[in-house]
Amino acid sequence: MSVLPVVRRDNERWDDMADILRIRDLEVEFVLPHMRVKAVDKVGFRIGAQETVALVGESGSGKTTISQAIMGILPDAATISGGSMIFADPKTPGTRVDLAMLDRKGAEMRAIRGGRISMIFQEPMSSLSPLHTIGDQICEAVRLHRKVGNTEAKELSADMLGLVGFPDPKRALRTYPFELSGGLRQRAMIAMALVCRPALLVADEPTTALDVTIQAQTLRLIKDLQSELHMSVLLITHDLGVVANMADRMVVIYNGRVVESGRTEDVFRNPGHLYTQSLLAAVPHFDMQAGERLKPLREIKPRLDGLLTLCSADGTASVPGAPETMSLASYGPGSGEAVLSVLHVNKSFAIRKSGWFGMDQQRFEALSDVSLTVNRGECLGLVGESGCGKTTLSKLIMRAMAPDSGSILFRGESGQMTELTYLDEDQLAPYRRRIQFVFQDPFGSLNPRMTVQDIISEPMLIHNIGDADYRQRMVLELMEVVGLDPRFLNRYPHSFSGGQRQRIGIARALCLRPDLLIFDEPTSALDVSVQAQILNLLKDLKDQLKLTYLFISHNLAVVDYIADRIAVMCAGRIVETAPREALFRDPIHPYTQALLNAVPFADLDHPLDFSKIVEGKASNPRSWPAPFTIDNLSDPRMVQLSDGHFVRMTRPDYQEIAV
Amino acid sequence: MLTFLARRLLVMIPTLFFISVLVFVVIQLPPGDFLTTYLNELQSQGEAVDPAKIAYLKQQYGLDQPMYVQYFDWAWGLLHGDLGFSFEYNLPVSEVVGDRLYLSMVLNFSTVLFIYIVSFPIGIYSATRQYSWGDYGFTLLGFLGLAMPNFLFALVLLYYANVVFGTSIGGLMDPEYINAAWSFGKVKSVVEHLWAPVLVIGTSGTASMIRRLRANLLDELSKQYVVTAHAKGLSPGRVLFKYPLRMALNPFIADIGNILPQVVSGSVLVSVVMSLPTTGPMLLSSLQSQDMYLAGSFLMFLALLTVVGMFVSDILLAWLDPRIRFQGGVSE
Repeated sequence: MSVLPVVRRDNERWDDMADILRIRDLEVEFVLPHMRVKAVDKVGFRIGAQETVALVGESGSGKTTISQAIMGILPDAATISGGSMIFADPKTPGTRVDLAMLDRKGAEMRAIRGGRISMIFQEPMSSLSPLHTIGDQICEAVRLHRKVGNTEAKELSADMLGLVGFPDPKRALRTYPFELSGGLRQRAMIAMALVCRPALLVADEPTTALDVTIQAQTLRLIKDLQSELHMSVLLITHDLGVVANMADRMVVIYNGRVVESGRTEDVFRNPGHLYTQSLLAAVPHFDMQAGERLKPLREIKPRLDGLLTLCSADGTASVPGAPETMSLASYGPGSGEAVLSVLHVNKSFAIRKSGWFGMDQQRFEALSDVSLTVNRGECLGLVGESGCGKTTLSKLIMRAMAPDSGSILFRGESGQMTELTYLDEDQLAPYRRRIQFVFQDPFGSLNPRMTVQDIISEPMLIHNIGDADYRQRMVLELMEVVGLDPRFLNRYPHSFSGGQRQRIGIARALCLRPDLLIFDEPTSALDVSVQAQILNLLKDLKDQLKLTYLFISHNLAVVDYIADRIAVMCAGRIVETAPREALFRDPIHPYTQALLNAVPFADLDHPLDFSKIVEGKASNPRSWPAPFTIDNLSDPRMVQLSDGHFVRMTRPDYQEIAV
Repeated sequence: MLTFLARRLLVMIPTLFFISVLVFVVIQLPPGDFLTTYLNELQSQGEAVDPAKIAYLKQQYGLDQPMYVQYFDWAWGLLHGDLGFSFEYNLPVSEVVGDRLYLSMVLNFSTVLFIYIVSFPIGIYSATRQYSWGDYGFTLLGFLGLAMPNFLFALVLLYYANVVFGTSIGGLMDPEYINAAWSFGKVKSVVEHLWAPVLVIGTSGTASMIRRLRANLLDELSKQYVVTAHAKGLSPGRVLFKYPLRMALNPFIADIGNILPQVVSGSVLVSVVMSLPTTGPMLLSSLQSQDMYLAGSFLMFLALLTVVGMFVSDILLAWLDPRIRFQGGVSE
């Protein structure tokens, strides 16, 4: 996509009086030893009083650089090489400051930064200093910008902590960030940014690192505070769902340029620029028709004819050098039978706790009575928030860990279900071949010192499959299957983008022709358009190679797009299992409902109902209403409500049902 | 915090016990003992030795006892402040060691202090002005300090002090004070002589400490919480000192326990070259002659220094870093 005309709506009034920030022709350059890179190129937009403007773009589009330019915290290598950023502080009417002209480290800029324009960041885990108490860090901001004493600063900080929803603000002042959960940390961060009552809040992906229910709470908080403190918000995000629910106006950035800007409603209903259109088409949403596909910016057309599909009916290979066992597409009749079944699995971990003389052991229940079945040819989606135990479950299935109790059955070569739990490493080897894994982090999961060729063929070497010729042909074929140019085989992972690396990971998982593929958040580190590309690829592969997936994700929309059946997991338990349509049409469990209510749709007709968002943790089993409560008194089991729809609840006509 | 302290102190007891066993066994490992070494020496000089006298000496020194009895005698003595008897000097170990122990401690403590005082500002400068001329300059000096063997540096220093200034910088005091009682003049003389060995022994430690602090601080400077602090409107200096520097201090302090034994063992050769009245040269000779109680006392002294150094650094770390203080009780 080269230079396309910018779409600017004409109903944009450049009203001098009401604007808090007006950016015109902003240019930011990074000066590197061997070249200059223009990260932001002639960007212009405005932020009105008490308005929320969303800056939308994918990673590398320059949106964060714009926010850094506004805050005056650009990295040393970056310089503002042109344009203006006129800041009109409503507190001192009539004054205009050009932020672009100020010395980044000077006193004038420092007075505005943190005082009149504040910022919150994406990573609540690392944005606060672990060595200082929350109170210390917030009071510091107060005392920096207001002439108040220590006690008064503490009071102001406590007030603000109360406002952002800390139950006991006085106590919270004395806590350290690492004692708080991610959601509370982000609230502390918001309190710190807002304690000086700024005119403009710059929020850089404020909820991207949070769970979906916590995200909804945080978004509501920002909205509430915005009207309470009469401030404007510049929301930087890649999530169109957040934009649809938060922003009055939006600015779409691509490659450091504004490609479209206007009122959110106009842009969503009638996207003018090709890039905006494709961005909107790439987001999975809930009311997609059966068979409707996402439209990524660039579609991958897998080429499927060869070793992967090639297999005669009696299961013997017709290719010289190919191995005998052709598990992948070799089944026909057995479709629909269970490939994997996990039965009543428990797993707990010991938490170290210091006490007198050695350690007191405390157990943390990571998984409790988890049962699920994956049938051949289907995609089971496993949804849950961070810490709910979904990764632990996947590790148990891979036998990276052993469960405390319960059994894991897998259909092996013989066609019989085999108990994996008690097998030793040698006995496990044939099963390891049949279960393959695709990881979340496309950067960490590929060895940077191996070429793509080595990476993809390594599993075959480990399991000693085929001869060199077969392996070479398989690798070539897999590259085409995942839509990568075979000429890239001798390159190293660093020369690929995140999406391409993830495709290499998929190729590696496919090379053993596994029966079951486990995906652990395969797209959560990727941009929307790349995510759409990968999801479509996975869908095509599944249909054409008749693969079986266990797809783990926190993103309901993604699971909705790819899965046939969905299991919802919370606090180490499966709380609801249902076919895809049934779960979204008729969620029974309060946690599933909370989850569904909290997802921001990239759709103006389905706004988030902020009144339905429960404060506190929706994931606490004790606070679920009867008959769903789980505590010392009641321990509900899975109950079948309709065909394939199971819910964990206590029923008088109790009957345990095998899942 | 109190439990932490108490537990930390209790752990030191078995540690020291194991070290003492190890030290004793290692000293005994070479075949023979002090007497056989002594005998060989006499025989090689062609002197006759009376077997009865040998047996008497053996019994007198307790060398005819089994090893564990010898060990417990020694350990029991140590607990009561009795360091045992030096065969070679025919004196109690405490008398042989005398001032050397204190002088060693003064020397080593000054060296550690020197390392910290010099490396701290330079490390900060190098990290905050990465790839500046100053940074390159200090890096070059640092590598020189790391690469040059201590004793060589000592020799160079001795030579030039003599040739250029006409003074001798060997020893730790002027010759007239060597066997004199402690007086103001003696202290002054020690202080005047101290700089040369401190400089020589401390160079490599300083150089590596600068590199470490620079690397740590560079890591911390790029962290998100530093950006947050800047976004708050803090001045760059205050940001640096309040946040990343404090984080970068952790390894700095954790090194106290490491740096002590390094300095002590590094000073042995230098002490020989510069003829310093410290424990180093004596430890060397006692190991050669298998004068086991003398050697054992020195080694235990080293071990104690390390263990105490570790203890001090742990306490400081816990005091500085709440994550260590609240260890275990955190829900992640």
